[in-house]
Parts: sequence; C-alpha cells; structure tokens
Amino acid sequence: MFKRVPFKTAGLMKKLMGEYYEKGARSQKEGIPVAWMTAVSPVEIIYAAGLFPYYPENFGALAGARKIADKLSLSAEAKGYSHDLCAYARCGIGDAYATEHPVGKIVEPNIIFACNTQCGTLPKWFEVASRFYDVPYFLLDSPLVGGEPEEACRDYFLQQLKEMIAYLEEVTGRPFDYDRLREVLHLSNEACRLWNEVLDTAARKPAPFGFFDASFHMAPIVTWRGTQEAVTYYRELKKEVDERDKAGIYAIPEEHFKVYFDHIPLWPRLRWFSELFASHHTLVAVSQYTHSWSYSFDLERPLESLAANYLEEFVNRSFDYRVQLKLNFIEKYGCDGFVFFSNRSCKSTGLGLYDKRNIVAEKTGLPGVVFEADMSDERFFSEEQVLGRLEPFFEQLKSAAR
Amino acid sequence: MHKEEIIEFLQKVVEKPDWKVREWKEQEKGKAVGFLLTDVPEELIHAAGFFPYGISGGRARMEFADAHLQSWTCSFVRSSLSLALEGKLDFLDGLIIPQTCDTTRNVSGIWQHANPLPFLQEYRLPRQVDRPSARNYLIYELNRLKEELEKFSGRKITEEKIKESIALYNDNRNLLARLFVLHEQNPAAISNRELYTIIEAALLMPVEILNKYLNGLIEALENEEAAPKSKIRLFISGTLLEPLEILDFIDENGGLVVGDDLKNGSRYIDAQVQTNDDPLAALADRQLKRIPGAFYDPPHNPRRHFLVKTARDKKVQGVIFLHLRNCEPENYDFYDNMQALEESGIPAIRIETEFVTAPSGQIRTRVEAFLEMIGGEGNV
Repeated sequence: MFKRVPFKTAGLMKKLMGEYYEKGARSQKEGIPVAWMTAVSPVEIIYAAGLFPYYPENFGALAGARKIADKLSLSAEAKGYSHDLCAYARCGIGDAYATEHPVGKIVEPNIIFACNTQCGTLPKWFEVASRFYDVPYFLLDSPLVGGEPEEACRDYFLQQLKEMIAYLEEVTGRPFDYDRLREVLHLSNEACRLWNEVLDTAARKPAPFGFFDASFHMAPIVTWRGTQEAVTYYRELKKEVDERDKAGIYAIPEEHFKVYFDHIPLWPRLRWFSELFASHHTLVAVSQYTHSWSYSFDLERPLESLAANYLEEFVNRSFDYRVQLKLNFIEKYGCDGFVFFSNRSCKSTGLGLYDKRNIVAEKTGLPGVVFEADMSDERFFSEEQVLGRLEPFFEQLKSAAR
Repeated sequence: MHKEEIIEFLQKVVEKPDWKVREWKEQEKGKAVGFLLTDVPEELIHAAGFFPYGISGGRARMEFADAHLQSWTCSFVRSSLSLALEGKLDFLDGLIIPQTCDTTRNVSGIWQHANPLPFLQEYRLPRQVDRPSARNYLIYELNRLKEELEKFSGRKITEEKIKESIALYNDNRNLLARLFVLHEQNPAAISNRELYTIIEAALLMPVEILNKYLNGLIEALENEEAAPKSKIRLFISGTLLEPLEILDFIDENGGLVVGDDLKNGSRYIDAQVQTNDDPLAALADRQLKRIPGAFYDPPHNPRRHFLVKTARDKKVQGVIFLHLRNCEPENYDFYDNMQALEESGIPAIRIETEFVTAPSGQIRTRVEAFLEMIGGEGNV
C-alpha cells in the first residue's frame, strides 16, 4: 500500500455534495419539484426551468461504494426483479420497498425524466418508479447513431426537447426562460472544459491524476453540471492538480505503465483496484466513462446543440465508432495496455467487449484483458477470478516493456 | 388436401427451418434477408424481392456464441448468433435487427464482426410511442430501411409493390387470426401445439404458398364437426414462445390457450396495415397500435390493463408468464403485471425458460400443477 497525499479539494467535495443532498431534501419542502434524471440527459433544461435535478444512478453507486447494494437488491428481488438486472436499478427499486435505509433514502421524485442514450434499462427502471411514486414520466428517445449522425435523428431529438419544454411549462406554470438556458449552458461548457483539462493531466509522465482519482472527483460534473458550483470546483481541482504535479505528488508512486480502462469503476472495490494497479506501477489513466461529461454547447443554437451532444454520446454510437474511440484514447494518453471490465449490470457497455478486445489488440499490438464482475453488487465479484485475469496481464505489460 | 397433410407439412417446415428458404433461393435465384423477431416490417423485405426469414432462435450449440456474448446475454440472441456461426443460417444474404432492448441494440456490431453479411441493418424503433414526434421519426426510419433495401437489391421499391406486399401480409394475418378463432371454438380440431407450430412455420416460408395452405386448412377445419369439450382457458404472456413443448404439456392436461402476447404468437398477427394510405405511414401506424409489449410501450404500462381486460373478455382461468431468462424489459414490468392480475383475482404463474436444451421435467410439473389448481377436476 502506498501513502496517499489527500486532495485538499476533497473537503470542498464533501461540502458540495452535502449541500446537494440538503438541497434535494429542502426543495420538496419549498415546493421546488424534484426531477429524477438519467446521468446523460439535458439537465441544463431542468436547471433553466428551476427544478432540482436528482440522479438515482448516484444512489446506486453510493450503495455500491458502501457495500450494501446486495442488501438493497434483495428487497427488489423479493418482488420478482431478477438479480440479473442492473444493480443501480435494483438498488433504486429495492430502496422503494426496503424498510431499512443504511445510506439514506433515495430522494423521491415529483417528476421523472429519462433519456435512453445510455441504455434501455434506465427508462424501464424509471417507468417502474413513475408507477411506484405515482408521478409523471417523460422519455427522451435517442435512436442509435449507427454511422454518421443523421439530420433526421437530430431533428427527432430536437422535436422531443421542444415537447419536453412545453411539458415543463405546463408543470411549472411559467414560460421557459431561454436566456437562463444560455447561462446554464455556458456554465456547463466551463465545467466540462475544466473537467477535461483535469482528465488530460493523466497523459503526463508521471501523471498527477488518474482514473481512480477521476472516479472520486466526478460527482460534481454529474450532479452540479450547469451551475457555478461545478465551475468553481473544477477550477480549484485543476489548480491543485497542477500544484501537486509541480510538487512531485503523483497519482501512483513510480509510474511505469499507463493503461486504458473500460468503463464504470467497481464502486465497492475502488480502493482495492487502485492499490492493485499501483502495486504494479500501473496508472489507470483513462476511461470512456469519465470522459462522458465532455459536452460543448453552442449558445447561439442551444436546443440544436443539446440535441447533438446528448444524442451522440459515445455509448449511443456504433460498435466501430466505439472501437475507434478506445484507440484514440489509448494513443492520446500513451497507454501500454488496456483492461475491459465486462459489467453484467451494464449491457450497453459490456456487450461486444470480447470482440473489441481482439480488434484493439490487433490494431495496437498492446496487451489487453477482459474480466467479468458487477459495478455495485459484490455477489458477482470474485477476487480469485479477477486476479486470475489481471495478474497475467501485468506480466504481459512487464514483458512487453523488456 | 386433408387437414392432417397440411398440418404435417407445416410441422415439417418447422423441423427443417432451412428447407423452404433454400428451395426458394434455388428456384428464384433470389436473396434471403433474415430478421430477429418480430417487430420488423416484413412487407418491405418482401416488396424488395427478398425472402423474409424470421430467425426464432433454437437449440443451438451455444459455445459458438461464448466467444462473443457473455453468459448473461439472453439465450434468444445467443442461440440466434450461434446458429449463424454454426453455419445453419448460411443461406442468409442479409439481416435486419429490430432494436427492442439493449441486447438487440448492441448485437449488430458484434454480429457483423463475427459473421459478416453483405447487408445488415438495424431497425431503430422509437422507444416512446405516445407523442407526435414518435410517428414522424418512425416514418423516417421506415423510409431509410426501404432505401437501404433498394441499394442492396439495386431496384426501386415502388409504392405499388409495397401495397401488394401489404395486401398479402394482411391476408396472412387474417388467415392466422381465423385459425386462432377456430382453435378456440373447436380445440379438438387443432391443438395448441399445432396452432403455434403454424405461426412458427409462417416465419420460415413464402407467404404466397403459406396463404394457400392456410386457406385449405381453414376450409377443412370449418367443415369439421365441433366436438365440444370443456377446457381450462389460458393466456400466455411473454416475449417468445419457447419451448414449444410447453404446449404439449398444456394439451395433455386439458388446457386451451385462448390468447397470448408473444412475438411468435398473437403479436405477429395482431394489427392490420391500412391499404388506402401512404404505405410507409400505414406501416408506421400498425407498429404504433400493436398490442403492448415491455420493450415498446408508454410508461404507464398499458400491458397490465391489456392482460386483465383480455383475460376477462376471453374468460381466462389462468395466465402463464413465460419469461426468457435475462429478458430485461419483460422482467421490469413483471411485478406490476402480476399485481394487476392478482388484484383482479386472475391466477398466474411465471415460468422462466432458456433456449438451451429440451425443457426440463420441472416445467411439465409446474404446468400440470397450475392447471390442476385453476381447473379442478370438473373442468377437464
């Protein structure tokens, strides 16, 4: 185990996330509707409409990190929801039926928005929730972007954004404020730009920041994106990362290798993985996952650019596009190998990884490995099996360097 | 032709699923375009001059798919890809995959790498169905699919041609629907297993020929004297009817399937296509008004109301949820559906299945026990 120098910004994170949950609890009392959102969906519209956005996926990740996803899931499984479903969804549905709430209760929605850019599971979970909590539900439908983005699909998404805004005007009883939307989009742009600058420092050798740091510091880009708070946070974080770099405080001691990682971290095992990789002098430098929040909006065409950004997120792209994206990251960050986590909770990122492993290995000549587990539910984690996959991989990294 | 001969012939089509398609290709020197079940506009494939071939999975050697699809992928998709990799679908020149879940949404890229085809298209159904934007988008997507089919065939698909195909498939749906009615009226004349075997055959043979057989069969059945016999009335709910043997267990225990919402059952024949409209808009409208399914549904889950209403209208005594393991959309709605039936006092069981092996004795036992429970001795 190596000695970590804690990030000063971690204190700010604690404060910010505390405020976020407090705000959620307060919103309902103050008559501000709580809107459930999927992580990759146009929260900017929700902020501009004056609602409080809440991300149940975060709840699933938190339950995973606190190692209670399996317990919450049992309440859902008792109703006939299979343990093969997404663990986040099982945590959310389980919390609805559970009598004990060891990580606090999920913030109940007044209205639910889902976008299926990420997957088809989130809409199904949110449909269930809309019936359970008896609240309205609105889906933004994102057809898969098979090849080049099609104008007609962007237009379809744009029409739905207009339907969503009309719906929000009905809910709030006030006209939608497009000037406020532009402000929010500007703040999102800033936060995303700064977040990506932080992520990019993982390409330095040695690097002051890596994927496991990003997994910790990503909460505000998800939850506070579109606010000044997120901008302030990532400005502070960028400053601190640069200072640490100057002071010689690196993400891992003696970085020998960098690897690319797909996709979501294994929340209950974050520390275990970060120490395992560090012990092999291997920095997990980059993942598509943490780069999901790389939006860039055109303030002159707010709705059109919201449509393009949220429809064309990588997880909604073709097999070949996603292979190319991995190749680009591997090249940009100077990776020496790659690790693909086949996440049984996430069909839309897990499916295809075995073929992709072969293709990426063939195109780069780099060692790569796929392992099976679950992002939140430890019942599907076998240390022995994962080590059985990763240890030979570390050996390959070392022998490739010789 | 006698009833028995027709049924025997259609059973043979199902037993040898590549028989008719290979024969057609040989005779017509044409190409076959497969589709995964079943929300695909077969009419367009037919109008393009191709043989539409419904891949309904099967008892495949799953190890072929293991290198490409994780064990948690649904066995319908795993077995379909396995069949392709085994070479059992080598007559296909193309494939259309309707995107109805995360697995069908992600499998096209995998398929194209594992088993490349000259023509592979995703059919990107809208996921929301109750706002005006859905219909406009669906018409766009149908038009895109039509253009891709035209590129592959090198021929224009005229409006005339689509309308002819629509008429043929409307006939087909009417004939199959008529069979359902005759089955319900006179179960002794056509069993559960025979009825659903015929739907399966419909996925595997030219519609023109099938319609002739169906006309003959219906004529024979209509002339058959009804042998009234009290039966336990059942509804089967799920994605796909697998294994077909479950129908034998139902037949042997005095059950009569009077309705279902399966892709290789009533969902295949449910709604008709209007013939006086713009044909693509008419195809879109059919898709939008089909019976509710978990993968394609407004959020308030009208399926549960549909189940209760159908069960009442058809005097159903019990509902069998036939669920494919790892079918996510179906699983998410199961609890609500079960609740709705419970509240209405309609007994139901859930049986989980997989396209792996022949059905276990456990399935037989559960079907028997359920029928005994809901039917009692007097009814059988």
